[in-house]
Amino acid sequence: MRRTSKYIFSICLVVLSLTTHSQTKKTDTTVTKTNRYGLRIGIDLFKLSRSFYEKDYKGLEIVGDYRLSKKYYLAGELGNENKTVNDDQLNFTTKGTYFKVGFDYNVYDNWLDMENKIYIGMRYGVSSFSQTLNSYKIYNSHPYFEDTPIIISGEKYNGLSAQWLEVVVGINAKVFNNFYVGFSFRMNNLISNKKPDNFDNLYIPGFNRTYDGNFGAGFNYTVSYFIPIYKKKIEVTPVKKEMKKK
Amino acid sequence: MKKIFIVLIFVFSFSSCEKDDICDANTPTTPRLIIDFYDIQNPSNTKTVSTLLIIGDGLSKGILFNVKNKIQVPLDLTADATKYNFVLNYGNTNPALIYTDNLQFNYTRKTIFVSRACGYKTLFDLNNDNDLTTPNPFILNDDPTLTYGNWIKNITVEKYNLENENETHIKIYF
Repeated sequence: MRRTSKYIFSICLVVLSLTTHSQTKKTDTTVTKTNRYGLRIGIDLFKLSRSFYEKDYKGLEIVGDYRLSKKYYLAGELGNENKTVNDDQLNFTTKGTYFKVGFDYNVYDNWLDMENKIYIGMRYGVSSFSQTLNSYKIYNSHPYFEDTPIIISGEKYNGLSAQWLEVVVGINAKVFNNFYVGFSFRMNNLISNKKPDNFDNLYIPGFNRTYDGNFGAGFNYTVSYFIPIYKKKIEVTPVKKEMKKK
Repeated sequence: MKKIFIVLIFVFSFSSCEKDDICDANTPTTPRLIIDFYDIQNPSNTKTVSTLLIIGDGLSKGILFNVKNKIQVPLDLTADATKYNFVLNYGNTNPALIYTDNLQFNYTRKTIFVSRACGYKTLFDLNNDNDLTTPNPFILNDDPTLTYGNWIKNITVEKYNLENENETHIKIYF
């Protein structure tokens, strides 16, 4: 619940920063709009903060996007995770590195020199990792002899990998100067998964928890810095647009 | 635009809740040994035991079966042998009708991954009759040469590898 309220708070924050921006700029005549192009580099605060408050988790994700055209961005994430999962029947540790690359399409119509981004996008993700089975229990629905103990294993499965596709929905808003905050929500679908013998990839770095099928989900909350590289000027006649935007 | 935010807030509020998985009862996990009872006079017919108590060697509490021709026998997950006393007509008022046979099952175990919720299961392979280096798949009344006991007249192994409970592993004729 605490995490949920944090999400809602951050969403409100981003929404607020967007709406205040859109209300301040109003002009009637033809103006020149400057589009800045460049590289935005950031870090996922969600993974970073989890590393502090969750003792079974260490993770870091660097995010980046490069503006290709008015609406399209080349985008990617590079990360590393170390997570121990303690379930009723199993305790295992997953360690590995992942890389995601794809594009974002900005559906938000920026007014004047605003540089916000509300986007949908796609990613191809690939992860290389290891799993260590720390301990397990044998499931016995009809125990008669002494209850089955927790069996300490420590068996390590190396050289595992997975590939998947993500559909991304997100938002990136300028807070001041070249600093941006954003978040994104991802729906993942596994396309390949190299599983260990007599175990399963129950967690995949970058993909997160796996379910029975190929489905997965993810989230990140980023702070990033924009490095401008070049500018484009466009003439705009804001007649109808302004009405619609309010 | 507002709609998108509402949807996003909705989605995020659920993303932090993870349902605790529960091992589905229909998932085949560690099987019990399935024994069917047959009539020694008429070996193709099943025969019903009115009351049968099976009690693990050295244990005080047994498992009672009433009017059954099929029973499920839990095997010890921590050893390669399980020994039971099979008490026929348990609780009968006439002690002369109560018969006890001791049956030991010998097997090897393997641990197989099932799922996140169920963890692992143990599968058993009853020892092969032809392999003289291992004990017989079953030993009656502690004597490997015995083929019949006080009430058990004959035992056959139907399936050596125990995979689930929908199959018969051993037939007991009496």
